[in-house]
Amino acid sequence: MNMAGFYDESISNGLGWRAVLFVSGCPHNCPGCHNKIAQDFNYGKKFDKEDIINRICDNSILKGITISGGEPLCPENIKEVADFIEDVKKVRPQFNVWCYSGYTFEQLEARNDKETNRLLKDIDVLVDGRFVESEKKPNLMFRGSANQRIIDVPESLKVHKVVSLDL
Amino acid sequence: MQVIKRDGRVVEFNPERIVKAVTLAMAQTPGGVDIELANKIAADVQRKLEDKNQSTVYEIQDLVEKRLMSSSRKEVAQSYITYRYNRDVARKSKTKEVFLDIIGAKANDITRENANMNADTPAGMMMKFASETTKPFVDDFLLSTEAREAVKNGYIHVHDKDYYPTKSLTCLQHPLDKILKNGFRAGHGSSRPAKRIETASIIGCISMETVQNEMHGGQAIPAFDYYLAPYVKMTFKEELKKIGELLDKDLSKLYEYQPKDYIKQDLAGLKGEERDIQAAINNTVSRVHQAMEAFIHNMNTIHSRGGNQVVFSSINYGTDTSPEGRCIIREILLSTERGVGNGETPIFPIQIWKKKRGVNYEKKDPNYDLYKLACKVTAKRFFPNFINLDATFNQHEKWKKDDPERYKYECATMGCRTRVFENRHGEKTSIGRGNLSFTTINLPGLAIESALEAQEKCGVTFELGKGSEEKMTPAFKKTVKKIFMQKLEDVAGIGARQLYDRYKFQCTAVAKQFPMLMSGLWNGSEKLNPNDSVEPVLKEGTLGLGFIGLAEALTVLTGKHHAESEESQKLGLEIIGTLKEMVTGFADRYDLNFSVLATPAEGLAGRFTKMDRKKYGTILGVTDKDYYTNSNHVPVWYKCTAEHKAKIEAPYHDLTRGGHIFYIELDGDAVHNPESIEAVVDLMDKYNMGYGSVNHTRSRCMSCGFENADANLKVCPECGSEDIDVIQRITGYLVGTTSRWNQGKLAELKDRVTHIDGEDANGMKGA
Repeated sequence: MNMAGFYDESISNGLGWRAVLFVSGCPHNCPGCHNKIAQDFNYGKKFDKEDIINRICDNSILKGITISGGEPLCPENIKEVADFIEDVKKVRPQFNVWCYSGYTFEQLEARNDKETNRLLKDIDVLVDGRFVESEKKPNLMFRGSANQRIIDVPESLKVHKVVSLDL
Repeated sequence: MQVIKRDGRVVEFNPERIVKAVTLAMAQTPGGVDIELANKIAADVQRKLEDKNQSTVYEIQDLVEKRLMSSSRKEVAQSYITYRYNRDVARKSKTKEVFLDIIGAKANDITRENANMNADTPAGMMMKFASETTKPFVDDFLLSTEAREAVKNGYIHVHDKDYYPTKSLTCLQHPLDKILKNGFRAGHGSSRPAKRIETASIIGCISMETVQNEMHGGQAIPAFDYYLAPYVKMTFKEELKKIGELLDKDLSKLYEYQPKDYIKQDLAGLKGEERDIQAAINNTVSRVHQAMEAFIHNMNTIHSRGGNQVVFSSINYGTDTSPEGRCIIREILLSTERGVGNGETPIFPIQIWKKKRGVNYEKKDPNYDLYKLACKVTAKRFFPNFINLDATFNQHEKWKKDDPERYKYECATMGCRTRVFENRHGEKTSIGRGNLSFTTINLPGLAIESALEAQEKCGVTFELGKGSEEKMTPAFKKTVKKIFMQKLEDVAGIGARQLYDRYKFQCTAVAKQFPMLMSGLWNGSEKLNPNDSVEPVLKEGTLGLGFIGLAEALTVLTGKHHAESEESQKLGLEIIGTLKEMVTGFADRYDLNFSVLATPAEGLAGRFTKMDRKKYGTILGVTDKDYYTNSNHVPVWYKCTAEHKAKIEAPYHDLTRGGHIFYIELDGDAVHNPESIEAVVDLMDKYNMGYGSVNHTRSRCMSCGFENADANLKVCPECGSEDIDVIQRITGYLVGTTSRWNQGKLAELKDRVTHIDGEDANGMKGA
């Protein structure tokens, strides 16, 4: 997997201060995509898991990490992302994980494959759904378009239904 | 014989100067130069002055003129007079240029020295004229020779030099309780003690506005919540009385009732006393809210100091846990969040949250809910900033949780960072005290000079600045450090003596020169009669020796600044540690409250850099920008994590007791993310920092009120208006439009990086 970009810390991609990993490659090709260049699976450089984990674990201001992209949950990326999150949790068990995906929660739950389930159980918050240009609005909290939802994943998995995060 | 020059300096008489002037005048006439006659005239004039000890340039020139008139070359006299006149005009032309700049409302660094001031208004111009003409007067007549030379050579900067002749002091933390309880007299009116929240809030404004006119720095209220709390209680009682009258009921037994918390509630379903009490609470909360709104509004609109600037006002609060104090805190925060006018961000007062464990920091603390609210408000409005009362140096051994006057032992700060706490001449407190004056040392200038001398001594030559560490020999490193430390000691000595001279000059003022300040607001001044010297009370004030450009100085001395290399940080701490020791030495020698200040260098940001670049050329990482980095800060353009910045800057807070601040730049809109503000306060707590704040941008559409954090917002995404106001922070003060920023500060703003601009960001955009 390639990495399109990485923020050591940001306050705009989820609650608290967070590291942000942008993975390369995305099959959705939403019109108006603001990281279009990252749709290419070969964009950026090879993802160096050790380096990123080192940078995360020394930084006490971080509440968690956000995985964005690209599409972290497409078949090409999902295994490496799941491995990465598992390793992050080994170093910082309390780390809070947000994930952006063009797939909806329902689609992901319906997949019912090993990797998706493994990753979902480690994710605290999922911001789901494709970017829809006509739904784009200024000042949307942590989202690009109004159709996207900020989902409390553990609660949603429990009741098999989308539960919005209480913000 | 001695001659007194135009600038007041005294030199030995030299007849050659007369010969030179006369021959220059001769050269302008058809008859040409007659050197013999010129020598004769000089000799004649010298003879006339023989029995005098002293003369002035003007007297000598008059004698030369007369002698020329009586000579055979009268046309030379004509030429000499013209020459003399032109020289006088040339001498004044610098003043003329400065005046024309002020008149033309031209945006340059003279008229943009102070971002809170509108120098284009008549009163603003009047102040600039005065300011620009007093500065040379101070240089010539009030500074000692060594101080004047140090200023001229760019070693030190004397702050508020234009105010030097007025003997004014810098700033004050107002003991507001005194005038609220006793009333006061200002201008043509006197005021009775306050009886309700509206009056109390207005008296707070008047106190700051009046004293601002008597000082050259900012005004602060150190315990806003404690001071105003009694008037919430009185207002509540007043509301109960009104309700009793309206309902024809005797509610006097409720007058001393203390509500658990002043929170508005619907009256539906409430009956009897419960209803009366809640109605009184509701009305009280409304009135407190209005009073806080009025306070903020006044501090932003009422101009002081000759009508050109609002008060540099600050208020400290957060630790009063009484229901009334909590009501003040809540309502000032809610008013701030709502904004002034149509919801615009209030620029003043600077608000400072006093963070203290056991009071308002942890979940179990009584004011924790208000701390959460404070973080939410600062996410939107930049304020409050945070002073950390748990920092080792901000603690006070006498502070007790249940002492109703514990605020006296809580460190308060001026918004800009000036800190007054330790005291050689009375109780350790911030209240009723302030800074007297401060002077700043140019560290990069000293470093460059030291490096050049060390190169010569060690017989090495290389380009100074960033990356020069590879060329540095061990001998050079040792030598340059030794030279630098010696120069620092010399210049700190000059700075301290200059501060002391100014202090002695300030002491010649009498109390009536500062009528409000010296009527009891300044500690001990209540004992002074109007014509008494202020000397006995001034010693409670502080003398600040500041510094600028530690980062650039270290780049010269080690090739890297302190955030880039551990060796550099070690040296940085040694330098400022040494400066602190020297300052402690001055404090002992003069028995005065000297302290080291991490200078907020608004007008200074570009001046030293310009001088040093002219002298030494462009040095990479040092003089290659239009400004030097403020005090001990990590350069604003340097990319590193917030925690790294905290680790580097924190240890300097303990060393700079005259004031310090820690800034974090945010990459986005914290309005959605107030816990990101809490995380910054956690860093301050973890690393023992004294004072800090969070920088971001607030762009506002003036047409529809839309706001976001985009510094480059040009067109409103809601309504398409191009009337956008962008608010940013400059040396602690908020500024609505950057047109009032000076060049050095504008360049600094352009270079500021947030903590996401890491090398791997690669242009990716987040949500």
